[in-house]
Amino acid sequence: MIKVEGLTRKYGAFTAVDDVSFVCQPGRVTGFLGPNGAGKTTTMRVMVGLTPPTSGRVTIGGHLYHDIPNPGMHVGVLLDASAQHAGRTGREILTIGARTMGLPDSRVDEMLALVSLDQTEAKRRLRNYSLGMKQRLGIAHALLGDPSVLILDEPANGLDPAGIRWMRGLLKGYADRGGTVLLSSHLLHEVEQIADEMILIGRGKIVAEGTKDQLLAGAEHKASLVTALDNDQLSKVLADKGVPFTAAGAGLRVEAPPVDLGRLSVEHGVVLTDLRSADGGLEDLFLALTEDTQRDDLSSAVPAAATEGAQA
Amino acid sequence: MSATTAPMAMDLSSTPQVPMSRLALVEARKALDTRAGRWLIVGILGLVLVIEVIYSFAADNDAKGLQDYIQIPGFTLGYFLPIVIIMLVTSEASQRNGLVTFTLEPKRSRIVLAKFIAGIGLALSVMVLAVVLAVLGTLLGLVTGGDSSWHVDGGLLFYALFLSNMIGIFIGFALSMLIMNTAGAIVAYFVYTLILPTAVAILSSLSSTFEDIAPWIEFNTAQAPLVSSPYSPAGEEWAQIATSGAIWLLLPLVLGIWRLLRIEFK
Repeated sequence: MIKVEGLTRKYGAFTAVDDVSFVCQPGRVTGFLGPNGAGKTTTMRVMVGLTPPTSGRVTIGGHLYHDIPNPGMHVGVLLDASAQHAGRTGREILTIGARTMGLPDSRVDEMLALVSLDQTEAKRRLRNYSLGMKQRLGIAHALLGDPSVLILDEPANGLDPAGIRWMRGLLKGYADRGGTVLLSSHLLHEVEQIADEMILIGRGKIVAEGTKDQLLAGAEHKASLVTALDNDQLSKVLADKGVPFTAAGAGLRVEAPPVDLGRLSVEHGVVLTDLRSADGGLEDLFLALTEDTQRDDLSSAVPAAATEGAQA
Repeated sequence: MSATTAPMAMDLSSTPQVPMSRLALVEARKALDTRAGRWLIVGILGLVLVIEVIYSFAADNDAKGLQDYIQIPGFTLGYFLPIVIIMLVTSEASQRNGLVTFTLEPKRSRIVLAKFIAGIGLALSVMVLAVVLAVLGTLLGLVTGGDSSWHVDGGLLFYALFLSNMIGIFIGFALSMLIMNTAGAIVAYFVYTLILPTAVAILSSLSSTFEDIAPWIEFNTAQAPLVSSPYSPAGEEWAQIATSGAIWLLLPLVLGIWRLLRIEFK
């Protein structure tokens, strides 16, 4: 179990992590989600003692990371798959880890097999690895000591779709056997399918947390995407009622919940071919919650993203 | 997996701390398992060998004793061993593997100690190999017509080979921890060992007052009695080594360790 309590980390006037508290339960995969620079990595660095907190603390299984003897045997950590000596071979990197933890060299072969790096690839130097191969090696390194807690920063970054599916299976199985898994991502769809719990962070603050259903339950459906056989007829009805709308793709984006549009359609005999919520997806929620922390102005891109989100 | 049996609290009772011997062995391995580290060591020993071969043919026959051959590694090692040390330390930041090193052993002072032990062990191994090469050189001296002498001054072995090289690797530790960048630390090291004593020598030739002060405040100058005949530093020379060493070795070493214990490895 990972317990973050009132964690704050400041760099001068900049607050990277602002009074963050959450818990990662054993047997569950916890997704740590937020845009770039939201404080995910800083939080994880504090967890494993690489960055001292300004205030607050993190305990893993009731202990400060610093107090865990031979921590590799208890906590598997992957913060940056590229943070290894570029001149070492994949096998050598795992060997150094295994030797430090006091594990036999056979463990290195087991881990290489687990992450599907073959013998030829294991003999290559890290600088010749693709990002996906580095991630596999990093996951192998984190799993060396058969730890009960896994802390992975952007582990899916650089993996191909098959690799992401593989990792999903690996981590699910790991949590099912009682392990605690925390993984971060800035990509919602990576986390959505694997995480049992989600923690959304933006500009150093937790903006939402819970299961996917809990998060979605709180979202209001205030806009709809609608297509009618005769869009002009629909537009006229909407204009008469004073409901704001804009053209969106083959239909209209209307600032009213779907149920209102269904009612209108029956009342005015407008035949609809498509009607759905425009802001129901988790992605919308994610964007909305982290809106003020985004670097990019998404006001024009949101409707398009919403379409995708609703379809997914 | 311990989480299945104790989901909330992690049972650490059956996990001993990583023993220092294992950390030191891993650090020694890290100094040798990259191309740069391995070839630097091979290069140092190769260079010693080459110089000894050339020496065998070029030197006067009455200067081909073991003592003469041991002086060659004594000086060659001094220049290159600290670079092995610098790479061992700075790669943690330059190559960023410090992220892994310090998560596998979050007590950083233990890693510092492990690196010191590994560095001393490597230096001693290289010195032993260098003495073996010196013996081979002496044999080659015999073949090339030298009237070889197997006598070796204990002072030469202890002061010039052992002590000055040990000081050298700790200068490497101090500069690397202080600068934490491979190229920067190597440049600083050469400024420290080549440019600084040259500047002091020039100043000393201009001012006799400065010449008297120099060994008290410049470490390389102070170490001269260690590496030159009769290899027996006297009381005042030890005092000079102590004072200049406090400024140029002890202070940077303490600041370096302080920095390594606090730096954020990114």
